[in-house]
Amino acid sequence: MSLADRIYNGERAAIAKAITLVESKNQSDKLEGKKLISELMVKPGHSIRLGFSGPPGVGKSTFIESFGKYLVSKGLKLGVLAIDPSSQITGGSILGDKTRMIEISKSENTFIRSTPSKGSLGGVSSGTREAAIILDAAGYDYVFIETVGVGQSEILASNLVDIFTLIVGPGSGDELQGIKKGITEYADIFIVNKNDGDLKIEASKTQSDYKSAVSYYRNDDINSPLKDVLLVSSLEQTGMDEVIQAVEKIIAYNKEKNEFDKRRFNQLSFWLEEQVKALMQESLEKKLKEEIAVSDLTSQVVEGKIHMYEAIDQIMTKVEKKI
Amino acid sequence: MTDNNKSKFSIDQWQKSFEKETKIDSVDNFINSSDEGIDIKPIYTEQDLHNLEFIEKDSLPGQWPFTRGPKASMYTNRPWTIRQYAGFSTAEESNEFYRKNLESGQKGLSVAFDLPTHRGYDSDDELVMGDVGKAGVAIDTVEDMKILFNNIPLNEMSVSMTMNGAVLPILSSFIVSGEEQNVGKDQLSGTIQNDILKEFMVRNTYIYPPDPSMKIVADIIEYTSKEMPKFNSISISGYHMQEAGADNVLELAYTLADGIEYVRAAKSKGLDVDEFAPRLSFFFAIGTDFFMEIAKLRAARTLWAKIMRDFGAKKEKSLMLRTHCQTSGVSLTEKDPYNNIIRTSYEALSAVLGGTQSLHTNSFDEAIALPTDESARIARNTQLILQNETGVTKTVDPLAGSYFIESLTDQLSKKAWDIIQEVEELGGMTKAVKAGVPKLKIEESATKKQAKVDSGSRVVVGVNKFKNPNEPKVDVRVIDNEKVRDDQIKKLDQIKKSRNQKDVDHSLSELVTAAKEDKNLLEYSIDAIRNRATVGEVSKALESVFGRHFAKSLSVSGVYGKHFEGDQDFMNVSNKIDIFEKDFGRRPRVLVVKMGQDGHDRGAKIVATSFADLGFDVDMGPLFQSPKDVVKDAIENDVHAIGVSTLAAGHKTLVPELMKCLKESDPDNKIIIFVGGIIPEQDYQFLYDQNVSAIFGPGSNIIECAEQVIDLISKNSNKK
Ligand code: B12
Ligand SMILES: Nc1nc2c(ncn2[C@@H]2O[C@H](COP(=O)(O)OP(=O)(O)OP(=O)(O)O)[C@@H](O)[C@H]2O)c(=O)[nH]1
Ligand SMILES: [Mg+2]
Repeated sequence: MSLADRIYNGERAAIAKAITLVESKNQSDKLEGKKLISELMVKPGHSIRLGFSGPPGVGKSTFIESFGKYLVSKGLKLGVLAIDPSSQITGGSILGDKTRMIEISKSENTFIRSTPSKGSLGGVSSGTREAAIILDAAGYDYVFIETVGVGQSEILASNLVDIFTLIVGPGSGDELQGIKKGITEYADIFIVNKNDGDLKIEASKTQSDYKSAVSYYRNDDINSPLKDVLLVSSLEQTGMDEVIQAVEKIIAYNKEKNEFDKRRFNQLSFWLEEQVKALMQESLEKKLKEEIAVSDLTSQVVEGKIHMYEAIDQIMTKVEKKI
Repeated sequence: MTDNNKSKFSIDQWQKSFEKETKIDSVDNFINSSDEGIDIKPIYTEQDLHNLEFIEKDSLPGQWPFTRGPKASMYTNRPWTIRQYAGFSTAEESNEFYRKNLESGQKGLSVAFDLPTHRGYDSDDELVMGDVGKAGVAIDTVEDMKILFNNIPLNEMSVSMTMNGAVLPILSSFIVSGEEQNVGKDQLSGTIQNDILKEFMVRNTYIYPPDPSMKIVADIIEYTSKEMPKFNSISISGYHMQEAGADNVLELAYTLADGIEYVRAAKSKGLDVDEFAPRLSFFFAIGTDFFMEIAKLRAARTLWAKIMRDFGAKKEKSLMLRTHCQTSGVSLTEKDPYNNIIRTSYEALSAVLGGTQSLHTNSFDEAIALPTDESARIARNTQLILQNETGVTKTVDPLAGSYFIESLTDQLSKKAWDIIQEVEELGGMTKAVKAGVPKLKIEESATKKQAKVDSGSRVVVGVNKFKNPNEPKVDVRVIDNEKVRDDQIKKLDQIKKSRNQKDVDHSLSELVTAAKEDKNLLEYSIDAIRNRATVGEVSKALESVFGRHFAKSLSVSGVYGKHFEGDQDFMNVSNKIDIFEKDFGRRPRVLVVKMGQDGHDRGAKIVATSFADLGFDVDMGPLFQSPKDVVKDAIENDVHAIGVSTLAAGHKTLVPELMKCLKESDPDNKIIIFVGGIIPEQDYQFLYDQNVSAIFGPGSNIIECAEQVIDLISKNSNKK
């Protein structure tokens, strides 16, 4: 049986190997991965993709455990792609997310894969989108993507999923004004986690801070379910009903408004562009390193033989010729 | 005359002579930093006694602040109690072992339960297949408990029980066993460990989440303070922290901070401090740092007196810290194991000079298996010789007034006090434990120690220096786990048939109601146990209200690697990993797992963080996984290898099960399996026959392990 067929069959080991291929930096793996994805995209599944992003330690994994349990108990199949930010100087990493998803990881109806992000913005890693395609083809009803939220990476992460959720902790409302502006624009749902014990008061306060901050982005439609701010405790498993309702409403709403497919279309374009950019960047870097004598030109600048801008112009001419 | 004196006592002169002898220009080069970060100087003088903050120079034994001991007479009147921790297999076998020991001079009993009992599972539970009777004695019902104390009069014998998670059913069984021996609970003497906070930190036999667990602790303190005047309601334990890797300051600080939290919990029940404080007891580890350990016990007494005075305690007995000690198991080696007798002797001496009230000395086969009759005899004799032949019992606190000891005691006190204040600022130990801070600090300290041994900067005789070319063969205690399990299941079936099921159901539902209504749970659990409800049934009833706790563990990173900057062997492995990544497009990926009820996670966590520092991608599994869970994790994450860490003797059941599951789930898998931990040599072939690729025993150098692992993975991946 071909790898694609085994994936359609839902074979765990095949799914896992396929994800390895699309994440691999090895050229022949990459080729094989591309072929596979092309095959799988012909016959897509029906999964809904949800993204969960937020600062380290806010409880994303714990939330996924708690929320995932709910879906699994309804007999739904859940795939989780956890992008683990813990990369180190030496390049190795400890992937500990699963110790926070103990119960769902035991279920036959889940597939949980951690990926070391190797410092790529701490957010999405290359291959995540393809991995989601693989899980979709394998028949998973939901695919969750966990990423750490640091600035820019949200834009990438939000472009991978149908609904993008920002998870924050109690007390994070203060930072809203400055850095988080961008995120509020991209997120569809806001979840204030850790609404339990001593943290409850702070959590409600954060909820209202977020509510007022996002009011600006709420569209004119007063029935729009988008940009709701919800309170949950992943530890005590409260507030999960509201989350599932919000998710269902947004899906229905977006489908009705044709937003759902439009988003996927835009994401595909975004992805195409990103891929092209990445390839260009790669080949550019290679050329700069191998074919264009940048350091010679630098020396000439240092020695005062030519101006810096002349050097840049010379490099550009060479680059353009070669492309 | 004055001139004479001056030259006789000149410190400058000493310094000059020192520098001349050592041929080094400054004494300062001989200052060594201890694990605790305390500078150990080559000389201490009267000067060092000048600015003591916690220690009162002229204090006396049996008096505030009890630095010199809780009693005025100490060992001159009665030596410390020889109390050996033991238990294995069935209650019948452990009972026989206890009685033999008592006949040979042991004075108190200390019961080691097996892991299923600790975690509240009956022996017939599918989850604990590999663990029954293996690392302690299996107790399923009060009938087992009665057998355990058969012919041991409970009104005479003081019994210590290491039980924390399943503390309610076990203490209940003990009380009912007394009843049925016609011994009232007011006559029972001994100690129940009942220290749940350190379970969440290091010992890992918790059952319920922290808050309900703390409530149970308080219930027991309340009940025993009213009904069991001779019984210690809790043994606040630092021992396990040191064994898990804590240095002495961390051990001291977190133990006393735990103590503070328990006092608060008991007070919240409306008890007066003096009602229960005299029945709080402590438990410390005694490692190889001879003087530091002595100072630790003295510091602990000093600080506790202060803490209790601040709590408003009035009775002398409330102020004095009484403690049990155990020599360090982690200092003992699998290699050249007779060396362990010597290590244990020094540690025992240290405990005694520190003024312990009772002591356990380890057996030389500590790093191999549970002690045999013979190794247990030598361990016990270590103390008998100390008591009867050396004269150490003849003078109270003989080291008092030593410049070095007093200074060390004060510095330890200071450092520990600072950490205690930090914990207080976090809102106390329960909060700190929930946030995972103490556990992480201990793991960091453990990782540092490993790095020191692996890099050779700390010598361990027979392991990284002075190796024995002719390793001796030693006998090993073997436990037939299947037989124990069968026996237990038979007994369980019989009891379930003969008991009055209605009474059982009724008392269990009363227990559930009591748990919901926040009543004292010990009374209800005694009723259930008396009706022959099992340990597992009582635990499950409470679980239905409180839930079961799953630890969310964090990991340190970079601590191991930092010790090896520029190290050739380290770089060599890192380079091999880089080459692998170039060839195969990703890093070698290893899943490190703990299966069954074995909660020894020190080794697994250290190996995981060190492997990551070396460049592996390491998946860290949670505790208590089943082989099936492990296989699912391994396949989904497409790992190259699974490293099984196993210390509680479950390997012969769990490893074959893992292999079977792996084959079933993915017949074509190329995953390599290796095993680390406590594996007696006679089991090696068994594991190799199961297709285990490599075995790494205690004392393994992690860089060497890593090299073997990357070589195996590379070879396997190149096969294609
Ligand atoms: C420390 C310790 C504890 C600590 C554990 C703290 C913790 N969080 O880990 C405490 C005090 C809590 C403890 C408690 C108990 N312990 Co204990 N404990 C030990 C001790 C003294 C040292 C283990 C250790 O951590 N060593 C240091 C680490 C770094 O070494 P390591 O784990 O062996 O790992 C090294 C190698 O084995 C290898 N390795 C290990 N795993 C892996 C994995 C991979 C992938 C690789 C590459 C390498 C590798 O590399 C590591 C580096 O060198 C051993 C005896 C001994 N000296 O070994 C007993 C021992 C393991 N304990 C034992 C027992 C019985 C218990 C209890 C069950 C007692 C009881 N009845 O209550 C309890 C319950 C604990 C539980 N929940 O499971 C027995 C087990 C008996 C047996 N196997 O037959 C032992 C052997 C002592 C004995 N002889 O009686 N214990
Ligand atoms: N009080 C409280 N603590 C929580 C809650 N959810 C998670 N936590 C705790 O927060 C810590 C981090 O949780 P994780 O789920 O690992 O957080 P994360 O966002 O996935 O972390 P990274 O993946 O490391 O970025 C853990 O100690 C959790 O127990 C909650 O709802 N309430
Ligand atoms: Mg996470």
